[in-house]
Amino acid sequence: MNELAARYAERGVGAIFLYTHEAHPGEHYPHLTSLEQKLRHATALRDLLGVTRPILLDALDGTCHRAYGSMPNMTWIFTRSGVPIYKSDWSDASSVENAIQYFLDVSDRRRARERLAPFRVERLDYRNQDREAFFKGLERSGPKAVQEFRDAFGG
Amino acid sequence: MSDPELLARYNYDSFVPAKFEPWMRFDASPPLGTVAPDFPLWPLEGGESSLSTVWSAHTYTIVEFGSFT
Repeated sequence: MNELAARYAERGVGAIFLYTHEAHPGEHYPHLTSLEQKLRHATALRDLLGVTRPILLDALDGTCHRAYGSMPNMTWIFTRSGVPIYKSDWSDASSVENAIQYFLDVSDRRRARERLAPFRVERLDYRNQDREAFFKGLERSGPKAVQEFRDAFGG
Repeated sequence: MSDPELLARYNYDSFVPAKFEPWMRFDASPPLGTVAPDFPLWPLEGGESSLSTVWSAHTYTIVEFGSFT
């Protein structure tokens, strides 16, 4: 997602990471109890995991996250006027890039004075399942996070 | 700030279905095509911002929700 953000920054596309709650709390990164702790975890996201996009924190009670469906790693695309035009219950760079390319093309067509009307579409996108990388991520949180995920979903 | 019970439920201490499943309500999220709700946000570097400040800065804005874990 960082590379995607950098690739499209010159084309009028902004990107942020909105910090929510710990989806897999563990010994090293336990559940959040204060904004100071949330700030520390978000700093680790930047410094240890290398998120280069601006990171903004939601309220400790997840006011924004809850209003948008509370999925643990979802992505939305907004227009400048605050209209969501893409939402995905999982973050996948290929899916997001596919959408961004489409919307940039829409912008080009509008500049060319095509008359365009929006319509709704639903589809399923597909992502790679890298279980090794996923479990490495859980291990960063701690053994508790790994065990709880195995208890919930196996593997 | 909201009530302690909500804070504790939202920031659940264990990844067990009874605690995380109630929050997964993507089907009830705002629809595409109409102006979305705005909320205050806090940049990592300090200060206060909002989702509308973020989305109004560019033609399109990608917002990834997530956490370290």
